[in-house]
Amino acid sequence: MLKVEHVSKHFGDVKALNDVSFSIADGEIMGLIGQNGAGKSTSFHSILNFLKFDGAISWNDAPISEEVFDQIGYLPEERSLMPKLTIEQQIVYLAKLKGKKAKDIKPQIDQWMEKFAVKGKKTDKIKDLSKGNQQKVQLICTLIHRPSLIILDEPFSGLDPVNSDLLKRAVLAEKANGASIIFSSHDMSNVEEVCDSLVMLKTGNVVLSGSLDEVRGQFGKTELFVVTDWPIEKLRELPMVNTVESLCNGRFLLRLDSEQAGPAIFDQLTKGHYIEEFSQRPPTLDEIFRMKVGEK
Amino acid sequence: MKKWWIVTSQTYMRQVKSWSFFLLVLMPFIFLGIGVGIGYLGMNSSTNHDKIAMVSSNEQLRQQYIKQNKDDINGKYKTEASAKKALKNKDISGYILIKSDAKQVTANYYGDQNLSNDVKTNLQLFLGQIQQSNNLQNAQLSPAQATSLATNFSLKEHVQKQKSNDSTIRQVSFWIMVGMVYMILINYSSITAQEIASEKGTKIKEIIFSSTSAVKYFIGKISGVMLVILTQIVVYIVGGGIVLEIAKKIDLTKDFMQNNSQLVNGVVDNLFNVNLLFLFLGVVIYTVLSALSGALVAKAEDAPKAAQPAIMLSMLAFFATFPFVADPDVVIVKVLSYVPFFSSYFMPIRIINETAGPVEVIISLVILLATILLSSYYIGKMYKGLMLQTDDRGFFKALKTGLSYK
Repeated sequence: MLKVEHVSKHFGDVKALNDVSFSIADGEIMGLIGQNGAGKSTSFHSILNFLKFDGAISWNDAPISEEVFDQIGYLPEERSLMPKLTIEQQIVYLAKLKGKKAKDIKPQIDQWMEKFAVKGKKTDKIKDLSKGNQQKVQLICTLIHRPSLIILDEPFSGLDPVNSDLLKRAVLAEKANGASIIFSSHDMSNVEEVCDSLVMLKTGNVVLSGSLDEVRGQFGKTELFVVTDWPIEKLRELPMVNTVESLCNGRFLLRLDSEQAGPAIFDQLTKGHYIEEFSQRPPTLDEIFRMKVGEK
Repeated sequence: MKKWWIVTSQTYMRQVKSWSFFLLVLMPFIFLGIGVGIGYLGMNSSTNHDKIAMVSSNEQLRQQYIKQNKDDINGKYKTEASAKKALKNKDISGYILIKSDAKQVTANYYGDQNLSNDVKTNLQLFLGQIQQSNNLQNAQLSPAQATSLATNFSLKEHVQKQKSNDSTIRQVSFWIMVGMVYMILINYSSITAQEIASEKGTKIKEIIFSSTSAVKYFIGKISGVMLVILTQIVVYIVGGGIVLEIAKKIDLTKDFMQNNSQLVNGVVDNLFNVNLLFLFLGVVIYTVLSALSGALVAKAEDAPKAAQPAIMLSMLAFFATFPFVADPDVVIVKVLSYVPFFSSYFMPIRIINETAGPVEVIISLVILLATILLSSYYIGKMYKGLMLQTDDRGFFKALKTGLSYK
């Protein structure tokens, strides 16, 4: 288990992290979300001991040090490999630095290249690969030594939908193997699809944390989707309705003051009218993200 | 496998497999080969024309002379007519016609230029011997008289230590030594600084520092470069030995090597001794400095700037040696022969000139070695802090931040 406890980090006068705490259990995937400059990469750098910080970070109750580096797989935000090496040389070199033997790693390379659909031969030089393929090779380097703590900084950035799916499958496979995984992303749909929990940072502070259901539960089922013949003006006059948005195909989104407003609105809407759809849900992560980012 | 060794072997293999290393190591041999080749071709192209022919009705006498003077004589032309034709065609520069009867040996030279002094002296000596032999026979002397007349003078050379030659040996050794230190050092300072600066500009450093400690990585990098330097020195020693052996055997250089054996052996002795250790450690300490300055630049594009501090310091030390070539016993040379970064230039001067005893040499080596080890460890400790900085805050601020990181 990874435990981050009351971590703070200052860069001069700038507070990059302020009393940040969270934990990730074995076999759990956690999404670290936030705007640019929110403190996501600083959190990763603190976990990896790249920075001096206040607070404590431990992996399986031991501080993060060289002794546990072999158990960590890290993918930095900007992709970077050694351009003059071949795919095989690059993977083997980084795996050896993770305590693996070349003879154990070499036979796996073809299989991993197939898994990530890397185009080319393992004898191809990194500099000759496309950007997408370089990114896949870097992902292989991150995962091939079977780490139990995986840290991925913006892993989906620059990947097309097909390759995003490949990565999601790989991440879920590592989770099934018991790895603890933390990744940052701007794309909330990826977080919703893959994560068990999330932590949202805003200017170095944790503004939201918990399992996806818990986070959504904090906002209640305040979004109401209806398909009705009621005109939009009438919908806006309903009690406890904040805003009404007209969607396509006669569908409306009503944002409510509280979850409890739902039954009363249902009663009113059904009086002498046919309701084709009445669906009350919590806001999406994307909406929560926008709401929280917009808050002062 | 130890992680520093993984970094070492990767650094080493990447360097020695590169074309630039291959060319760097082979360049002196290539230049030497080209020089010898040009000399050989030049000699061959002018050989026949510069040679002269020997013609005589006495074939035994002719063969005897050709055998004694094969470097100067073209033995192809046996008759006066053929020699005359060859001279006309400029195939030879002249010919000697020797006639001999019972009383006198007569020689005539025909050519388009005068006989060289060497050839003339050899010819006079040869003719004198033949004439003397004929004279002895004609005089019909008793064996005792013949022996008495044949007695020659005795000349023996008793040469003490050649002071002037020693001075030449020292001068040649000095220039080769400092030239080697300077060239190798500039090259590796540049390679190391650029390699580290280019790594700093990418995120590969983050992947590496999530795998091993910065100290191990730094030591591994320096050790890798050290092995590359060592490889180059070993290639030079082995290659130099082979070249010397070849030079002693081939016609083109054989005479030079024989005539200058004392100089050659003296220079070789001066180069292949403890001076090599100073060369090696000197390059290592400048490599450590280059690694530090490589880690201080902000981005990969600044890599060429990174080598400047080491190169400038090396140039300062190199040029500072010049005034002391002929005066190695002054105080400043003695002091600088113990100061790291300078000792690799100045202690070899003292060793070559025999002004430093074994104890002084050992003290200088210990200081140099200790400086390398301590500075490597110290820089290794702040290496992570330096490498993970990406903002362009200038040399001294970056150094200050790095120092505070450890």
